[in-house]
Amino acid sequence: MTAILCPGRTILEVEGLTVGFETAAGLVKAAEDVCFSLRQGETLALVGETGCGKSVVASAIMKLLPRNASVRGHANFAGRDLLTLSEKEMAGIRGKDISIVFQNPSLSLNPIIRVVEQVAEPLQVHGCAQRRKSIETAEKMLERLELDSRESRMYPFQFSGGMNQRAMIATSMILTPKIIIADEPSHGLDSGLVDETMRVMMMIKEQIGSSLLLITHDLILAQRFSERMAVMYCGEIVENGKSEEIFAKPLHPYTRALLDCLPERGFHPIPGSSPSMINPPEGCKFRPRCQQARDRCMRKPQIVDGAAEDGDREVRCWLY
Amino acid sequence: MLAVLKAEDIGLVYESGLIFKRGHTVLRGINLELHEGRTLGLMGASGSGKSTLGRILAGQQRPTSGRVLFDGEDIWLMPRLERSAYKKQVQMVFQDPEGSLNPRKSIERSIHEVLGLLKVPALQWRSRTKEAFEMVGLSEDLLCRRPAQISGGQCQRVALARVLLLEPRVVILDEPTSALDISVQAQILNILRDLQTDLGLAYLLISHQPEVIGFMAHETIRLEGGEIV
Amino acid sequence: MVVTQNGAIEGETSAAIWKNRSWRVGFALFLSFLLMAIFAAEIAPYNPWTRFEPYQSPGSEHFLGTNDMGHDIFSELIYGSRASLLVGFGAAILATMIGTLVGLISGYFRGLTDEILMGITDVFLMIPQIPLIIVLSAFLRPSFYLIAIIMGLLWWTSTARVVRSKTLQVREMGYVEAARSLGFSDAHIVLTDVLPNILHVIMPKFLLAIASAMIAEASISFLGLGDMTMKSWGMMINFAFNRGGFINGYWWWYLTPGLCITLFVLCVVLMGCAFEEQENETMRLQ
Repeated sequence: MTAILCPGRTILEVEGLTVGFETAAGLVKAAEDVCFSLRQGETLALVGETGCGKSVVASAIMKLLPRNASVRGHANFAGRDLLTLSEKEMAGIRGKDISIVFQNPSLSLNPIIRVVEQVAEPLQVHGCAQRRKSIETAEKMLERLELDSRESRMYPFQFSGGMNQRAMIATSMILTPKIIIADEPSHGLDSGLVDETMRVMMMIKEQIGSSLLLITHDLILAQRFSERMAVMYCGEIVENGKSEEIFAKPLHPYTRALLDCLPERGFHPIPGSSPSMINPPEGCKFRPRCQQARDRCMRKPQIVDGAAEDGDREVRCWLY
Repeated sequence: MLAVLKAEDIGLVYESGLIFKRGHTVLRGINLELHEGRTLGLMGASGSGKSTLGRILAGQQRPTSGRVLFDGEDIWLMPRLERSAYKKQVQMVFQDPEGSLNPRKSIERSIHEVLGLLKVPALQWRSRTKEAFEMVGLSEDLLCRRPAQISGGQCQRVALARVLLLEPRVVILDEPTSALDISVQAQILNILRDLQTDLGLAYLLISHQPEVIGFMAHETIRLEGGEIV
Repeated sequence: MVVTQNGAIEGETSAAIWKNRSWRVGFALFLSFLLMAIFAAEIAPYNPWTRFEPYQSPGSEHFLGTNDMGHDIFSELIYGSRASLLVGFGAAILATMIGTLVGLISGYFRGLTDEILMGITDVFLMIPQIPLIIVLSAFLRPSFYLIAIIMGLLWWTSTARVVRSKTLQVREMGYVEAARSLGFSDAHIVLTDVLPNILHVIMPKFLLAIASAMIAEASISFLGLGDMTMKSWGMMINFAFNRGGFINGYWWWYLTPGLCITLFVLCVVLMGCAFEEQENETMRLQ
């Protein structure tokens, strides 16, 4: 039964991704041993609070981190490890095979160049089409996003926030990438706009058949729009599996506590505060705030299979 | 029970143009009451004038019509000194937590300058700071840091501590948690609720999230197009 | 940085600027000139007013030779730094102080005050500055102090403009609104919240004003309108040209003061740039 919902093969496999930043204050362990896989056509949500390292993971995969970052691990895509590629090879992949939609799109568009030309630009840059043909393709893409030809000839400063969002999505998707990474798409937008943006993004995603890596701190957004979800805490993945099931039956104490914070469940706060990434707690990073902490939690737990019905759950906790 | 703060038929019209004045009505005929120990929730779409109403109630902006009554007295008829005293009793907590703190001042300085403003003797500063931090659940080792070095939730709590030092009777909360993550949101809301119970504060809670209003407000009003519906 | 939860990153402008090479070089040069001016009496081999044999070429006794009056040029150069630096600093300090005051008041209080102050600024902007200084110098033959004051009184306008626009920006920040709401007085807010956050805009302007003032002073002195009693570098160049230094090819006479002016302006500019770079770094780190 679940096989019908199960999408195709894995197109991105991240293994043991570890990112550290050398700073004046010490080594910031932004991500530790992050593993997840993204299958064709599916939406995977990378969920966690501000500062847990989820954006860092996306930037690491795309090799967009600053110079003081040290990256270890593998990110296998189309038979190659992205982390080992040169800048030139990555430039060929960015935008074309994997593209990122950043938060706050109005800032990403050049206000004095027409929208249709900005959407067409990736095509020209990657050498896929000449100018006239690229503009035609761009217009078609914008039409799919419900921006007609008159509007597409306007400038971004004439657009509303929602229209800018759609223009940005068009730019990211025009080269029909295999993977789209959406970094906090709901950030700073009111709920009506968020709905519209997500709806449009999902629609295009279906049409071009790509996969979506949705990075967000908004749990409800993740629940509504993703099939699978990975929860991050302090740079580590603590739980991953099918979204619906994580919501119905969260296994990791952090996931449970996080869900309890939701307005729908009564705003129950998690005691304590998020740990430092320079001096994280010994062993399990959630231990100081966990109600079920035991002595064994002083040792770092490994990822194990959670005892879920379909076997598609992994948890990093000694309880399992 | 007598209302601590009462808005009577408040209206605000922005005028533009030099000779042919055109008016833009932001608020019209607003009536509301805030009572001790109770929360009034204010909902409305963005741009409906909620924040402006908050500022008017705090005495930061003057309405073009209507009265704001604090303990029965019209605040704009008060002499200047009394009105300053009133403004201290009605405080605001803003939406952007990191934005309410000067990025160049250490947390300690931001707190101490409030104590200086209140003319608290310097010897008492340390104990008063400790007290305020305990009320909002912060540890003292934050004192030497700058706002950029602490999280949003902690910033919001520092802002709250500063406000509480003034011992206000009314706190206007303008989207206090919208910029925060869910777990921090839950923490802050619980702290606010506990403080209301302990100190008998009157809250005006402005938010666009119905669940936040539902969690804290005893009564709710809705603002649409500048009017209460 | 989003990555650092509770991590302490110290991006202090004052301490970290020493890592910047431009700053180190600029400051070193600056310090040398300053020491040269302060300790002129100790460093200079002779009193610049003592007469020796005129028109001597550089040699073992007179490092840079002597001028038409027989004064030792090297000593003149060292003592000259006093006059030049005095005018440079004096004018810059005055201009910056007036400009900052006007800009702050104008930007913070806005409204009518702003309109009036900006109107005054516009009037001052219309005044042609160098010609006015030249005319005043020609008629009044003022001392260097007066020249510095006049420059200061004319040059505050661009600082005022820049300070005003930054003040307008900072004024809208959340922490200023929060401070007002808490009940702090305007004076307190301007001094503790606004001013520190516009300092990084004032500093480069101050440093560049020093440079401009020095060059202006050199120009005036070169035209012969400056103060005869104090030998500034500009005055030296003037004498060099008028008293046969240029024609006879005595490059050690007219080139060296020019070099000093150039070097000083360079070090000031370096410091100004380093300051701005550092500010950007701090902003970025935050």
